[in-house]
Amino acid sequence: MVNLLQNGDVCMEELKEETPMFCINDNEDVLVEILRRLDGRSLGSAACVCKMWCGIARNDALWEHLCFRHVSPPPSGVRPVVMALGGYRRLYMVCVRPVLSRLGRMRVRVGGGESDLVSRVWTRQEVELSLSLFCVDYYERLLGGGGKLGDAPASSLIFLCKTVNV
Amino acid sequence: MGPYDSSVSAGSSSGSSSSCSVKPADPIDGLLAGAGYRVRSSELRQVAQRLERLETVMINAPTEVSHLANDAVHYNPSDLASWVDSLLSELHQPEIAPDPSTFSDLNYIAHAQGGPVLVNPMVGHCELSSGTEIEEDSGIRLVHVLMTCAESVHRGELSLAASFIEELQGLLTSVDGERGIGKVAGYFIDALSRRVFAPQEASLAGSAFENAVLYHHFYEACPYLKFAHFTANQAILEAFDGHDCVHVIDFNLMHGLQWPALIQALALRPGGPPLLRLTGIGPPSPDGHDSLREIGLRLAELARSVNVRFAFRGVAASRLDDVKPWMLQVNPKEVIAVNSIMQLHKLLGSDPSRGSPIDPVLEWIRNLNPKIVMVVEQEANHNQPEFLDRFTEALHYYSTMFDSLEACSAQLEKSLAEMYIQREICNVVCCEGLARVERHEPLDKWRDRLGGAGFTSLHLGSNAFKQASMLLTLFSAEGYCVEENEGCLTLGWHSRPLIAASAWQAMPVLQHPLPLINHHQNVI
Repeated sequence: MVNLLQNGDVCMEELKEETPMFCINDNEDVLVEILRRLDGRSLGSAACVCKMWCGIARNDALWEHLCFRHVSPPPSGVRPVVMALGGYRRLYMVCVRPVLSRLGRMRVRVGGGESDLVSRVWTRQEVELSLSLFCVDYYERLLGGGGKLGDAPASSLIFLCKTVNV
Repeated sequence: MGPYDSSVSAGSSSGSSSSCSVKPADPIDGLLAGAGYRVRSSELRQVAQRLERLETVMINAPTEVSHLANDAVHYNPSDLASWVDSLLSELHQPEIAPDPSTFSDLNYIAHAQGGPVLVNPMVGHCELSSGTEIEEDSGIRLVHVLMTCAESVHRGELSLAASFIEELQGLLTSVDGERGIGKVAGYFIDALSRRVFAPQEASLAGSAFENAVLYHHFYEACPYLKFAHFTANQAILEAFDGHDCVHVIDFNLMHGLQWPALIQALALRPGGPPLLRLTGIGPPSPDGHDSLREIGLRLAELARSVNVRFAFRGVAASRLDDVKPWMLQVNPKEVIAVNSIMQLHKLLGSDPSRGSPIDPVLEWIRNLNPKIVMVVEQEANHNQPEFLDRFTEALHYYSTMFDSLEACSAQLEKSLAEMYIQREICNVVCCEGLARVERHEPLDKWRDRLGGAGFTSLHLGSNAFKQASMLLTLFSAEGYCVEENEGCLTLGWHSRPLIAASAWQAMPVLQHPLPLINHHQNVI
């Protein structure tokens, strides 16, 4: 801001900051709101930005929202089970992402014989199946931890993640 | 679809009204003859390939083709083979070696037997790596000699069988033993040689630990067991709806892979989880190591994590008919589910007119008054009294199964799964009497048997079907198919069902008392 002095000189006063510069790191709640709207891959990238972002992006609540935001009504009572079996981030990585992408890519024959292209909106059964597969994954890790099967057992979900040569 | 897939027949066409008089040695294909074309059945494949080649050439080089209309000599098109050849040479296309065939194993078997092919030969999963006619013929010859060897075993001519086995081992070197017919034939030749040369140690039964490991890898390599577990769990879940005290009796616990999903589903059911009791039956562990209890502990840990009240009991028995109902400690207030994944067939005998060990077992199952009995069995007829029939059926069945296993990309799982299947093959082919436990019977026979023992069929609902379809979409390549068969579900490969799941309920019993905990009446 330019001031006109009595003697005609011009001096510059320090520019007072009227609007503070916006830094996203100072506004965690806004950051969370933005991250909530991302897809899984972007959320994973966000976790690589810096330590602070990593901490926020790993918040399981974000992944819970990602897992079930297209399910209506949202499944109730699921949270304690999912947390006990490994958390929503793992649920997304291990089950939800492959299930959604596989079922979305292929045409699913529903019992009546019609072909529907499954949209990104989950059906209740897809949710249930994902949760069951997640539980099997947890159990296989339990079995492996006991050393019963010798070297780390391959999870039955590995087949799920390999791209299928159709 | 090739032009020949529905018309391969050894000269005895059924539907065609052709009036061709056929020399038995060189049959003209009947169906094409009805359309006015004379093609020898043995040349059908080559003619088809050349027709496809001709089509490609004509599409790619239309200018060359037009001259044919002007001054080419036209051969009689009804002699299809030479007509195609002449056109190809007119267009200056060199003769090509036959394309790598997409014969499936079944096509080989059918060719070798000379019978009509019931399977679409274009639907093939096993590409021969060198793709020459010589190799295809070796494959056909291999199966032919295999069947002849089995026939001699069937007639008891063991020295003749031994010479065939030598020939077979020689033939094996000229086919690709890593895939397709070579691989399946290898296992069957191995089984036959065990039967002929070392009948005492023929059975490949390993320790319980080994079996459990192989079973686990079979679970991971292909979807059959996953299908069995998930379908059974869905039916059990529906049967348990509204009950607070439930008891599952598992006839073959193994690593308990079936139960985490049920525990989780019960944890999340509306109204909260019931008290779940699981009784797992399994073979006794050697040297004091209680593997049943360890599995029970793991399952209990999982149940505790998801807040399901859980109690486990292990029953060690080497055969299912050693189990007595009092060992199960059934509580009259609880609702019971019996779960048998590929176990009941082990109790069958070979002579249908005499009783078999399964009858008393079915009786005590019925006396438990279970709300649901889940039966999953291989969909095959491996309990026929005649060796040759069993052998033929097993060759078809396991060829299909090996075909389906080709889709598995995880190498370790695939190899161990093959070992698991190899044990079944050896048991079907090599063993007799009490040692032969893989006595698979098809779904219709199980329906009769269970119906006669006092059970009614429960229809597996559409939920089970949808779940099975979803499971297949996730885990498999194209080729697997789920079908519904009068309330039962089957999973198969290219329309050949390989495993069938059915649900049953005991018909209301009026006179039999329920066995209580202190009831020591010997039901066997």
